Amino acid sequence: MGKSFSRILIFTVLTAISTSLAAQGRLVKGKVTTLEGGKSVEMPGVNVVIVGTSKGTTTDIDGSYSLELADSDKELSFSFIGYTMKTVAIGDQTVINVVLETDTQQLEEVVVVGYGVQKKSDITGSTANVKGDELYKQPVLTATQALQGKVAGVQIISSGQPGTSPQIRVRGVSTALGGTAALYVVDGVLTDDISNINTADIVDMNVLKDASSAAIYGSRGANGVVIITTKKGVSGKLNVSYNNNVGIRQAANLVEMANSAEYSNYVQAATGNIPPATNYNTDWYKTILRNAWQQNHNVSISGGSDKSTFLVNVGYLTDEGIVIDNDFKRLTIRVNQDIKINSILKVGFQSSYTNSVNQNGFGNIDIDEFGNIGSVYNDAYRAAPIIASIVDGKYGNTSTYQNVGNPLLDIKNNRVRVSADRLQGSTFLEAKPLEWLTIKTSIGADWRNSLNRAYHYKFLADESTFLVAGGNQYNNRSNLNVKNTQSLQWVWDNLITANKKFDKHDVTLLIGTTAEEYHNTSLGASRKDVPADPSLWYIGVGDANSSQNEGGGDAWARNSYLARLNYSYNGKYLLTATIRSDGSSRLPKQNRWQQYPSIGLGWVLTRESFMQNQNVFDLLKLRASFGIVGNDRIPTDAFTQTVALNKPYPFNGSSSASTNGVQINQIKDPNIKWETTEELDFAVEFSALQSKLTGEVNYYNKTVKNALINVPIPRTVGDIDGVILTNAASIQNTGLEIVVNWKDRINADFSYSIGGNVTFNTNKVVALNGGQAIRGGYIGASQGFTTYTDNGLAIGSFYVLKTMGVFNSDSEAAAYTDTNGKMIQPNAKAGDFRYQDVNGDGIIDDNDRVLAGSYQPKAYYGINLTANYKSWDFSLSIYGNSGNQVYNGKRAVRIKGEDNIEKALVYNRWTSSSLSQKQPAANVGNQLASDYFVESGSFIRINNLTVGYTFHQKVLQRLRISSLRVYATSQNLLTIKDYSGFTPELPGDPLNSGIELSAYPTTRTIAVGLNISF
Amino acid sequence: MQDNPENTLEMKTAAFLKLTLVITLLSSVFYSCSDSFLEVPVQGGVSPASDPDLAPKLVTGVYHSLLQGSSFGDGDIHGFAFISVTSIMSDDADKGSTLGDQAVPVGDLDNFTISPTNRFAETLWSGHYNSIGAANQAIAALSKATSITPALRNQLTGEVKFLRAYLYFNLVRMYGAVPLVLRVPKDAQDANSEPAFQTRIAATIVYDSIARDLQYAVSNLPLKSQSATGHANKGAAQALLAKVYMYQNKWDLVKSLTDEVINSNQYQLLPNYANLWRQESNNNIESIFEIQTGGFNNANLGPDLYTICQGVRVGGGGGWDDLGWGFNNPSTNLVNAYEVGDLRKGATILAIDNSGTHKGTILWDGFRVPSSDSVQNLFYNYKAYTSKEKEKYADKNDKNRPKNIPILRYADVLLMNAEAALQPSINQPALALDNINKLRQRAGLTIKGSVNIADVWKERRIELAMEHDRFWDLVRQGNAGQVLRAAGKTNFVDGKHELLPIPNSQILLSANKLTQNPGY
Repeated sequence: MGKSFSRILIFTVLTAISTSLAAQGRLVKGKVTTLEGGKSVEMPGVNVVIVGTSKGTTTDIDGSYSLELADSDKELSFSFIGYTMKTVAIGDQTVINVVLETDTQQLEEVVVVGYGVQKKSDITGSTANVKGDELYKQPVLTATQALQGKVAGVQIISSGQPGTSPQIRVRGVSTALGGTAALYVVDGVLTDDISNINTADIVDMNVLKDASSAAIYGSRGANGVVIITTKKGVSGKLNVSYNNNVGIRQAANLVEMANSAEYSNYVQAATGNIPPATNYNTDWYKTILRNAWQQNHNVSISGGSDKSTFLVNVGYLTDEGIVIDNDFKRLTIRVNQDIKINSILKVGFQSSYTNSVNQNGFGNIDIDEFGNIGSVYNDAYRAAPIIASIVDGKYGNTSTYQNVGNPLLDIKNNRVRVSADRLQGSTFLEAKPLEWLTIKTSIGADWRNSLNRAYHYKFLADESTFLVAGGNQYNNRSNLNVKNTQSLQWVWDNLITANKKFDKHDVTLLIGTTAEEYHNTSLGASRKDVPADPSLWYIGVGDANSSQNEGGGDAWARNSYLARLNYSYNGKYLLTATIRSDGSSRLPKQNRWQQYPSIGLGWVLTRESFMQNQNVFDLLKLRASFGIVGNDRIPTDAFTQTVALNKPYPFNGSSSASTNGVQINQIKDPNIKWETTEELDFAVEFSALQSKLTGEVNYYNKTVKNALINVPIPRTVGDIDGVILTNAASIQNTGLEIVVNWKDRINADFSYSIGGNVTFNTNKVVALNGGQAIRGGYIGASQGFTTYTDNGLAIGSFYVLKTMGVFNSDSEAAAYTDTNGKMIQPNAKAGDFRYQDVNGDGIIDDNDRVLAGSYQPKAYYGINLTANYKSWDFSLSIYGNSGNQVYNGKRAVRIKGEDNIEKALVYNRWTSSSLSQKQPAANVGNQLASDYFVESGSFIRINNLTVGYTFHQKVLQRLRISSLRVYATSQNLLTIKDYSGFTPELPGDPLNSGIELSAYPTTRTIAVGLNISF
Repeated sequence: MQDNPENTLEMKTAAFLKLTLVITLLSSVFYSCSDSFLEVPVQGGVSPASDPDLAPKLVTGVYHSLLQGSSFGDGDIHGFAFISVTSIMSDDADKGSTLGDQAVPVGDLDNFTISPTNRFAETLWSGHYNSIGAANQAIAALSKATSITPALRNQLTGEVKFLRAYLYFNLVRMYGAVPLVLRVPKDAQDANSEPAFQTRIAATIVYDSIARDLQYAVSNLPLKSQSATGHANKGAAQALLAKVYMYQNKWDLVKSLTDEVINSNQYQLLPNYANLWRQESNNNIESIFEIQTGGFNNANLGPDLYTICQGVRVGGGGGWDDLGWGFNNPSTNLVNAYEVGDLRKGATILAIDNSGTHKGTILWDGFRVPSSDSVQNLFYNYKAYTSKEKEKYADKNDKNRPKNIPILRYADVLLMNAEAALQPSINQPALALDNINKLRQRAGLTIKGSVNIADVWKERRIELAMEHDRFWDLVRQGNAGQVLRAAGKTNFVDGKHELLPIPNSQILLSANKLTQNPGY
């Protein structure tokens, strides 16, 4: 790869030199003007380029230019931002004067909104658009990840794990439950997961952020809506293109752990015991992590006639994952076609098929028998470096030494494969019986099938497995677990759009219905004693006396009626009003239907006569909107009392026969209602200086009422999980979004853009109807809960003890007493934390906890930079997040004196000579939950850096290539963070978010690729 | 209309036709979903309405709930947490395993450095109330059940009330005053607002409720010989009620109830003490009530962690596939408490060979446990040993092989009867002596000529060692502090450590309506 790349570079340089040498000969000159208010005005700064070359100039102050031409030069092009480009044949002219016209097309950019399209200038809601090109150039799995930092008001919390989607939060967390993800609409098909969508297929993503624009999606709109439009063929020439990138991924920001010498020193200091001397010095993270290859290939064929267009795109992506034995592969095939039957009827379909295979993706992390989150990553954090990883095929026995699994064996003893197929598509029939009337019916479907196969090898805690026998890491019987899940979701939309223009009035009315249904079934089975040969990994091979099986299903339906009125007076005064009535089977009959209205107003100031005499603003628009959206993403059994099945009892004390029983162990709320979000939005949009400067300032106030929340109920009522799902919270997000973009073309050779967006968000729980604060973030026996959600606080605020330095001596600890002279920390000694006795009762307990920030960021921002110089293109995007806190749960899971320790803590710890007040003395873990574990979650990251080179067409013509671009790109090149753990990006549910326990390390990718079309 | 010119009419007709076309299209496009489209039942969700025979199954579900052993999770009744508070907290046993292993929460219980957030104190609370909730649901369903005979309804209700009484008896011994919940909450609002769910009721009132439930059980349950194995029966209710009265020092009632059990001719001592903890002796002649374990769906069924947490743990040089995690080690204090020649010692204490001869310890089934250089601790609970080869299991390779847990056995009744007989108000020392000598004879010891209360207490300790009775018994005797401090548990504070802390999370949830126990 490297060799051919350098060849291409040399070739490129030679080409560039030969092009410049070719310049010679005659002169052409002229003047560029435009018409303004009927008068001819000279235009300075217009780009004049010789077509087919990179040679050109710009017009000077009076609009004139002159250029030297070669014999081969045939045409000149004249371009200026905001004006239609003009191409003129040179022939034998020596003077070429040109009049440029303002580009109305560009100002009238059309964007996809719910159930239709709208002129960008007419939109009264808050939307943001990101082009597919900008997404595709990032070497990431999903388009969602590529959206990070591109759009104000949209927070993306990424996960490094192959095959998993990042979490998306539009304008803050507005629900407490799992259903916080935005709704994706892929060519009209509604879904929560777009990991099947090849980013190369996407034309653009449009994010509907406020209630006014999302209200047309009613109950689905509360968390924002992301509309994805996939590519279509264009009539004309057949286009064949191939894109690829190949790169390497590695763990970014690993935490360095102590080596054997440091470990022994620390453990001795902590426990008084000297760990056994060994020759091993294992770096457990190095043992289980690697540099991983990833590659992505796409072949696209598109074309069509004036009757029909088509596009076929085949993509193949592999991502090894940075954890050994992990491997993710994805094949995507997309076929899109539009056919005009006659002047009235049109049909089309979009379809995509995806097959993905994820081997040993550690998505299923188990809670171990001690209630701690047990996983490879935790084990790697805790495992002692003095134990060997593996020697001559035998594993070091960490569990016999310190009760921690050998992380390498954790991986090697499992083979988990998830293979999934997904067919997603939609087809429509559109009739236009009258000039002003469009009737469209479309059916979308999403079929998924996945097969999970988990095989656990048999291995004993003896000398056939380990260097030293013993311990509790063993699996006495091999086990095969297979689970098949199938689901089908369909949606049927029927829409009528009427559009009429009367004089200066422009009215569009949309009415429609939608119906949606979902069904899934799953079937799982397991048996033991299945031999280790993979060709025998079938359920039938195992011991029938060990067979277990399970099966289940889920189903729901939705039905909606919707209407939208768009009115524009002369493009100056704008009104959008929508209403949607939603019914959902997920809610009890009495609460099943809900109306979601919204209204948006816009005023385009630049269309007013008083603005005609200024030439600063091309567009200045004020808009305001108010709307109500909802959320019904709750379990389908949330309001129905069901019994827990298979609660047997072996009355005869017999090993085989049990009497089966049932329990009623969940208390349900039969009156569950919709979550409703009311949102108010004010914004000013502008475009100035010939559209070089564009931007937007947006204020929003979004309040979720009746937010569903798991309200803790007294354990005494016998509810197995101690919570009841009910509408009990009200959560508010208020914020300000600022977007500023500058783009300019200095000359024919150089253009650039710089853009920034920042979102300030304040998240606050404004009412907990149950009255009780919610404690969450439980992280094990010694720490208990770590978060607290109550009125006036950000959701999931950290709630911990306050440390006040470290005791420098035993006597200092003894002197820390209450008013009665009783020791406040009776067991404390030199080097232990001094905790504040907040309530002054003389003991340190949960009642002394204080608030310590939350995971909800105060601000997040993106900076995007692009530049084009001759054939080179460059882009840089930066993403950052500030003002939030994370909980270093990894440190908190250190529960034994033999557990390893972070290298930094070995050196920074309190000692009688250092007297550190920030770090405690060497200890055996089991620290209380305190602000010691709460760290800043702020970070700033170079999200993507790309440099590309586009080959000159002249060179390519010989190779019958119409365009060729090569590029190098890097994802997550550098992250600057305060946090001492692995990553401050921690997807999770809101009540428990921001706690790093077993996060997959974030990864850095460096890749090279090419885009070629024929 | 007739005034209009012809061509306008034609145009209107054309427009009308077009409109008809549009309306036809529209109506074909606009369907109206019937309400049934949104009436999607919960898939696979059996509801009380859809199964009329639910009540008896709910009763089985209450028994099932006794197997809760999720000591770090949802709830524990007979798992690791139960072992910790009944045994490890007493002078009979030490935490065991390695020094740092489970220092929190088990070490804290062993050493009486218990915080109000102790996880085991929380899961025992939730486990017992989970089970009480299941019992309340079953009682409510039984009262409405129409598909069963009144006699069966009363018997099943008696069984559930027996179980509810047992659960409250444990609760009142662990926490003292507790909320007394005897009904199912109507809804979420009720669950969160009913004061009874979050207010502690004096222990005496809880005891009265326990007695009422047991009296109902005594009246409605058949004798052991007439009831199905494993179910609560009349003798069990009488024996448990006797024990409940013993904790209240109502000795006349203890005496009369134990006399009834003894005279019912349903029970005898099993001749071989050691056999009591073998699978072959499940539900033996001495058994009054025991937690049943076995298998279900090709897997073992029993309290999670119960046997594995007590199994012999590899240590030192290692080199063998061990039996468990090594917690709940019989203490040297207990080991030294046995008289010479007491057969019960060898049946209770699995002593590791520490002689230096590397002979190891051969167990009853022939299994050889290596000597002390390969084992973590010196003593283990033999009563929790399961034999992989000589006993039957759904999955014998699972180290957490299930084991029946005796809750009440005839020996306990004899001991209660003896203790009652020695009370001044009853004063039948000969009876007491006879009972004690029966136990001593079985244990291979010489008979005594006379016994006093202290002798009975000593005999109780030895006879019921490691059987989840000792800590509560010491508290009942009123000398927990004295005995435990003498046994080296110097952190024990009188007036505090007799009870566990009320889970702090629940106090916070109740907005301090629940009060904490003294000292915590």
